[in-house]
Amino acid sequence: MAGLIQNIALFGENIPWFQGLREKGLEAFKHQGVPTAKTEAWKYTKPRDLNADDFVMNESNFLLELAEEKAECHCHEKSCHCHEDGCHCHEEGCHCQDEINVLVDLPFEAYQLHFYNGQFVPIYPPLPRGVEVMTLMEAVLNQEAKNYLGKLVDLANYPFAALNTAYMEEGSFIRLDKNTKLDKPIIIVNHSETGEQNLFYNLRNVVVLEAGAEAEIVEWYKYAGAEKSRYFANIVNEIFVARGAKLKHYKLQNEAFKANHLALNMVNIKEGGKYEAFCLQRGANIGRNETKVILTEEQAEAEVNAAYIMHGWATLDTTTDIEHLAENTISHQLVKGVVGGDAKGVFQGKIHIAKHAVKTEGTQLHKALLLTDTAEIDVKPELEIFADDVKCSHGAASGELDEETLFYMQSRGIGREEAKQILIDAYLDDAVNKIADSEVRDWFKEMIKA
Amino acid sequence: MTMIKRQHKKEDIMTNTPLLEIEDLYARVGEKEIIKDFNLTINEGEVHAIMGPNGAGKSTLSYVLTGKPGYEVTSGKVWFKGKDLLAMSPEERAREGIFLCMQYPVEIPGVPTTTFLKHAVNAVRKHRNEPELDTLNFVKMVREEGKALGIDNEMIKRPVNVGFSGGEKKRLETLQMSILKPDFSILDEADSGLDIDALKVVADGVNALRDGHRSMLVITHYQRLLNYIVPDFVHVFADGHIVRSGDKTLALELEEKGYAEFVKEK
Repeated sequence: MAGLIQNIALFGENIPWFQGLREKGLEAFKHQGVPTAKTEAWKYTKPRDLNADDFVMNESNFLLELAEEKAECHCHEKSCHCHEDGCHCHEEGCHCQDEINVLVDLPFEAYQLHFYNGQFVPIYPPLPRGVEVMTLMEAVLNQEAKNYLGKLVDLANYPFAALNTAYMEEGSFIRLDKNTKLDKPIIIVNHSETGEQNLFYNLRNVVVLEAGAEAEIVEWYKYAGAEKSRYFANIVNEIFVARGAKLKHYKLQNEAFKANHLALNMVNIKEGGKYEAFCLQRGANIGRNETKVILTEEQAEAEVNAAYIMHGWATLDTTTDIEHLAENTISHQLVKGVVGGDAKGVFQGKIHIAKHAVKTEGTQLHKALLLTDTAEIDVKPELEIFADDVKCSHGAASGELDEETLFYMQSRGIGREEAKQILIDAYLDDAVNKIADSEVRDWFKEMIKA
Repeated sequence: MTMIKRQHKKEDIMTNTPLLEIEDLYARVGEKEIIKDFNLTINEGEVHAIMGPNGAGKSTLSYVLTGKPGYEVTSGKVWFKGKDLLAMSPEERAREGIFLCMQYPVEIPGVPTTTFLKHAVNAVRKHRNEPELDTLNFVKMVREEGKALGIDNEMIKRPVNVGFSGGEKKRLETLQMSILKPDFSILDEADSGLDIDALKVVADGVNALRDGHRSMLVITHYQRLLNYIVPDFVHVFADGHIVRSGDKTLALELEEKGYAEFVKEK
């Protein structure tokens, strides 16, 4: 536990409400610590690596910038690190413009936001009217975040969300005005290039859709450096979907294979609001994408789908918790995984239907394909139904690649490995096909093949 | 020893080039020996039929030749175009030109037939150093070959064999044969589950491939199929090997008398 508790100066320590949240977070994390096998919610996914004592947090970018602003900028010097927007020195050794390179080629148009090892890269995409995107700290400074930040996170039961709260500084704040419809997705790309250091960073995003707003947000966690980098990305998203608003939320977790990636999505949906999520995990040594959706008012609807594919020794965990608190609310979940090597797939899915939440519908299905004898799958479905007159179902199944099918394909000249890949793609297809945006869907399909 | 025998055979048939040579083959499934002392040579352009009682191991022979896991060759040799067939993986055998038209084609949920066919065609083309087909040319070819078999676009968009009727499955097997153009096809009970119209369609597709070079091995329990795919040679398979060979009239004789006398022989 000591390894994750860092003695580091953060920006915004003089803002009482914000610093107060951080202190509560630290206290809650200290109380809980890194979960062990005894922690029910972490029974199958054991983040043992997080007990290591070699974690390093980067110094606050914001504090560094403040320090540099005070100093006189010498842009014409070779070692310039001023990071000023207006630097045009073009001198060798100047890093002012370096970060421009983070922009990525995507097979679809999107507003790009970039983080580099969890630190914001100051490139702001031009946004249409009614859409606000700023760094978390900007939203803290101008008080916009005050009504949202920390409102959905239960610090006492989510140790890593508590830890994230203790060190929150980096991240983004995205808000759409009433009835604003975003014309293309916002993609948040986090590039991890940590080298030899065992870097630890926290990202905190807040997404607010006002009534009737519609948006699509894509998260992409990609490693940019050595594949062997060991680091810990700790992410918390707080998502507010107001009346009749619609959010599509897609995520691609493609961290380095020794990395730890723990993410918690807390989603609150009001009357008639709709949240559609899909998470594809195909990287990290320990990867967990946990989503808690609270359907607070009637007609609120959530689709929480996911797929994962892994080899080696990884553990990839998909945990969901859907709370139906109002009548006529709907939730659907389809999670499919492919597990090879000595890897372990974990699915924990909970549907809770409150006493007065009659006429609700909640479905959940998890299926996994085990490619080897040493691959493992742990599934824990939980239904808590306190209302009558509800439609609720859950199912789980696991299987192997069928030898008869492989032979049939081979007997037509298709190589065994190619045949396996075709079958794996087909296996994940019905989950991936749940992605409503066809361009993102095709991109994810390519990522599964890669 | 085997090599000498093989050389001798080659000299023997100056005009007939052997495509497949099976020599003293023994094979088993699990502990059970099913193919025993099996010998057969099939030359280019020839159509052979193997007939035998149910459970004699006719299908086992087809799986041994195509390399299905679990079918273990304990001794003997099989040469295909002079190459050691038994040393090849199932996909290598297919790329070399062996095709098995299966009695029970496998259903592959989630994989569109067209995807499956394209992978197969291009794997074989790649092996022959031919350029891979792009989607346009592939679709064109499938459409042309499919027309005669009554296979339309809608059918090949569906997942491989999923929900196909018995006739559709066999037609798809025949389509695969038509587009992969194998030098040697094994038809394992190609008529099972087919009504007479469907049988004619399949037989026409198979006969279209007979060009004097391609060879076939037709495995069947009933003589009926051989009215449509007329063999050059007919062999009776019992107790793990060929007990009698003849021309197509042997099939008629079997139809009349049944297999009883051959089964008794053991």
